[in-house]
Amino acid sequence: MTTRAYAVAIAAVAAAGLGYVLLSYAVTDGALLPVAARYVTDGVRDTASINIVSGVLLDYRAFDTLGEATVILAAVAAVSALFSGSTIGTDSHGAGLLVQRSVSYLAGFFWLFPVYIIANGHLSPGGGFQGGVSLAVLIVLLNVVFGTRVGSQRIGVKHLHWAESLSAAAFIAIGAVGIVQGGGFLANLSAGFPAGSPGSLISAGAIPLLNLVIGVKVASGLASIFYDLISGDRVAP
Amino acid sequence: MLEVAFVLLLVLLVVTALGAVLIRGYITSIIVLSVFSVVTTVIFAFLQAVDVAMAEAVIGAGLMTAIFVTAVSRTQKVRRDRKERSL
Repeated sequence: MTTRAYAVAIAAVAAAGLGYVLLSYAVTDGALLPVAARYVTDGVRDTASINIVSGVLLDYRAFDTLGEATVILAAVAAVSALFSGSTIGTDSHGAGLLVQRSVSYLAGFFWLFPVYIIANGHLSPGGGFQGGVSLAVLIVLLNVVFGTRVGSQRIGVKHLHWAESLSAAAFIAIGAVGIVQGGGFLANLSAGFPAGSPGSLISAGAIPLLNLVIGVKVASGLASIFYDLISGDRVAP
Repeated sequence: MLEVAFVLLLVLLVVTALGAVLIRGYITSIIVLSVFSVVTTVIFAFLQAVDVAMAEAVIGAGLMTAIFVTAVSRTQKVRRDRKERSL
């Protein structure tokens, strides 16, 4: 081994040791801060979502989630402004016949995964963001396997931009329901959204709706960034 | 036993992170970066942060790999003379 490889190995071991010490300190220090303890004890009662992470993201801290969604919207707007006017090349033919056939049989099951993740966001780990990104990856997969001509005709950039804008508006509309009902912006149960019985699919008030909206928004935003990347001429770095 | 596995994962994390930076060749570097994301996913799941693990798996191993590979395939290599590069 060269000295450089030795140096890399020593640095790796040292960094791993440091990380282990810090992480074990963070894990074994079991006492929760007051806010976290409140979330753990009262989270299910306040939000009716048995996935407390979803409850925090879409009920207690829904306004921060709106900020994150705005960041994605700004990123998509900036990228599509950079690539405006360029068209997607239609010269790609996709993968071979064997891959195309097998993916076309499996595509239905591929769609099922993000739909499950989004629909069960308030019950199991996951939610709108994770499901939305896997939807975007699915659109990338369809474009890679079947070629950009077929892919971008089935799910076009225009559709994605509409979906992005409409879902952003829908997020704010759901938040405005809270104001109308007298519970404050993005209020959930206090705005009269039905709590249902925690643990069932239709429960937790507005959280499943917000998950759906965020899923559509993230999927369309990231997929349109991908379309922007594959459009236009090849450039030199 | 569990702690040994955890430390091995952490070492692997640092090795893959260094590998992604030091390896020459874009595609290899991107693949190593997605391996880094997979290791991070396992660590997050180990720490019972399953939501974060899922986000890391989907973004790091899925979307980032696709976007990086797209970006590399959309760019061209420019051949320069050594004199020009040294300037």
